[in-house]
Amino acid sequence: MAYLEIRNLKKEYRDFTLSISLSVDEGEFLCVIGPSGSGKSTLLSIIAGLEEADGGTITLAGHDITHSRIQERGIGMVFQDFALFPSMNVSRNIEFGMKEKDKARRKEITADLLRLVGLEGYGKRSVNSLSGGEAQRVQLARAIASEPRILLLDEPLSALDAPMRKNIRNAVRAIHDSLGITMIYVTHDREEAFSISDSILLMKDGQAEARGSAEDLYRNPPSLFSAFFTGEGTALPAHLIFENMEGSVFFRPEEAAIAEEELDPSLYTMHVIFSGCEVISCEFMGTGYMLGLSYRGYPLLCQSATKPRRRTVSVMILRTCLRNLQ
Amino acid sequence: MPGNRGYCIRHALPGIAVLTILFLIPLAATFSYAFRDEAKALIGIIRDGYTYRLLSFTLTQSLLSALIAVAAALPFAAFFARYSFPGRKAVMTLSALSFTIPTILVVLGFVIWYGNNGILNTLLMKFLHRDYTMLRVLYSFKAIILAHVYLNFPVAFLLITEAWMGLPDTAENAAYTLGASRMKAFLSVTLPRLRGGIASAFILIFLFCFSSFSIILVLGGNPAYSTFETEIYRKVHISVDREGAAALSVFALCVTAILMAAAGLGVRQKRAERHRRTLRKAEGGKIAEAIIMMLLMLLFLLPPILSILYRAFFTKDGAFTLRAWDDIAGKGFGMASTALEGIMCSFAIAAAVSILSIIIGLRIAEASAKCSPRLLPAISSLPMAAGSVTLGLGFSFISALIPVKSDLISCILVAAAHLVIVLPFSVRTMTPGARAIPERITQAAYTLGASAGKARRKAELPLLAPYIRKAAAFSFALSLGEVNATLTLSDGRISTIPVLIYRMISSYNYQGAAALGTILLAMALIIFAIGEYGGKDNGIS
Repeated sequence: MAYLEIRNLKKEYRDFTLSISLSVDEGEFLCVIGPSGSGKSTLLSIIAGLEEADGGTITLAGHDITHSRIQERGIGMVFQDFALFPSMNVSRNIEFGMKEKDKARRKEITADLLRLVGLEGYGKRSVNSLSGGEAQRVQLARAIASEPRILLLDEPLSALDAPMRKNIRNAVRAIHDSLGITMIYVTHDREEAFSISDSILLMKDGQAEARGSAEDLYRNPPSLFSAFFTGEGTALPAHLIFENMEGSVFFRPEEAAIAEEELDPSLYTMHVIFSGCEVISCEFMGTGYMLGLSYRGYPLLCQSATKPRRRTVSVMILRTCLRNLQ
Repeated sequence: MPGNRGYCIRHALPGIAVLTILFLIPLAATFSYAFRDEAKALIGIIRDGYTYRLLSFTLTQSLLSALIAVAAALPFAAFFARYSFPGRKAVMTLSALSFTIPTILVVLGFVIWYGNNGILNTLLMKFLHRDYTMLRVLYSFKAIILAHVYLNFPVAFLLITEAWMGLPDTAENAAYTLGASRMKAFLSVTLPRLRGGIASAFILIFLFCFSSFSIILVLGGNPAYSTFETEIYRKVHISVDREGAAALSVFALCVTAILMAAAGLGVRQKRAERHRRTLRKAEGGKIAEAIIMMLLMLLFLLPPILSILYRAFFTKDGAFTLRAWDDIAGKGFGMASTALEGIMCSFAIAAAVSILSIIIGLRIAEASAKCSPRLLPAISSLPMAAGSVTLGLGFSFISALIPVKSDLISCILVAAAHLVIVLPFSVRTMTPGARAIPERITQAAYTLGASAGKARRKAELPLLAPYIRKAAAFSFALSLGEVNATLTLSDGRISTIPVLIYRMISSYNYQGAAALGTILLAMALIIFAIGEYGGKDNGIS
């Protein structure tokens, strides 16, 4: 049995229903991603006990916690909006949920945790004087101090700027690796999820759309929604390329090659060739160019190492790279 | 969060029950008197043309007072909301202080400063070499209006300034870039957004003046200037017509309820803007303008209050004396209770009321914030509709039903009346604090294993501390200065400072009243300081 097992969990609102089953192994770092309103935070709130499910069961380490009080679940949570206690300094915030009773030992643990999150010497500081990044590190230390069985992080970096986000997400992953704590991390940022997680759960309209490693989801998306949510790409009607095929064919921009001259299809039997594509946009990306093309009125997104000199180009893609998705 | 309904019932119910009992029992007593003998008294009041003259006068003086106070405050608010200059904060603090100044001190200050033989007339006669009273303000309609404006000008000024500062100036700047003049920008952009703030201030002042009591009783000077509140008092204590007083109370209650409902419909709460106005630094001519504005405000607000301090130590002829202070320790004032007893009694009642209002009000405020944003505040505001004289009358009926008479019972009844009057203000002061506590803070405490009690004690209450302190100070100040219900309920057994001051004004012992007034003023200042600066802010406001 998995460490965290969620079966047929249901929560109904007037215009939204969450309906999901999932399992998380001990020590796993699971990222939950999905667009706004897909039910990510609701799922976390129900696991933590902040909201009650209408149906289903939640089992943690073999114990059914579906109807347990929040305090008894042993679940730590890091909130998006820096939910530190403003009336307490950093140390007292961290000590709040500590199970250790001995005062000297508590101080020791606090100092260790502050070191772990990179805030050594911050103990006496007022939490109101902390920057956003520092506040999130204190939240992390505070949650860990309560020795949770599992740690939930609800978009903890969304209120921070880009360099700070990278910094903290590295710290979160380092803490996970050093303590081996099971973590569920909610984010809407796919780059964040790719860089930090062991596995990813993609949610859509209150349901699990896909589950797998970052590489899996990127390379073999099970649906058009997953494909577009996990990266950029082009979807064309399948019948445009293959007779009697329904749905869409999808490819990633880096899977396409650009040629400025006309290509003879008989020489490239392993490829599909789109001739006479008009260049609509050309965006410099640092490592190359992202080209926006138009093929018979259909938009195509392709990557190129060089900037095309002509207005019209040909695009070739290996047939094996074309995925038939619905 | 799970269990919200249980939380609300556990938290709000005891407080609401106490409030309802303390409010409904005296009200029921009043109704029973009003409906006695097949509601003869009530029918009489409804048919009596005098009742409608009272209504007309009450409405006229309230409307006029509110209009003048708001109109006078507008130019000052316009300036204070736009410019920063030295002394601005001090003047704003002085205006906020007026919320804790008891009405009876305004009455006393007016008598001493504007009286026919008051300090202002003495100064005018001396400097203009006249041998007759030059300014006859007191005991007239204009005295009532002037005192109401005096008391409410700072209220209007603060409320409108605050509303104005909450409006970012981007829309006005956009109007200027489109070629609008200052006047056009004000009329078409600023004023429509400020309308809610102005209306709130107007309604608040109107309702306050509608239930005004001691100002009308003393500064009006004769029964021609009677409002519902003063007439109820006269019926109880002068005509000894309890049924008539009860019937008039019921009639006044209905009128107030209609007015409050209309006021509630008229004012819609607007969402706060995300950005506040940035104050511009006053320079050159604007500094001169600021000095003139501050001087005008100080010249209007300070003399009546300062004259109380002066008169506590100087005779009418200007000779220094401590006689009134000696009298405070003994029975020199010729009252049933000594002034010292009055001070002790006032202090004890105010302390008890303040503590109880926090214990009861805090639970109601927390429950209002967490589960019932409309119903609980509405229930806890009910006593405001009744008016303090009506409540005092109800408690005097209960007092008459109690066979045993003692100082303690009188004290408890006065404290109970004060508690009902004070509780809505206490709840209103704490509710925004309870609402400002992010739900996440409590949830975070729960996820860290804290029980509901620990989460409240350690995470929520420290954040509420500034609001609790302010509510305690406000409740203490309101109880300390309460005169309407106390005077109506008073059976002569116990006296509070405001009642003693009222009696001394009535017997023309202004020096004694000023000495007691000085003590009351000092207490009000200390309470204000404790409420505003007495502890650290935990940063949720």
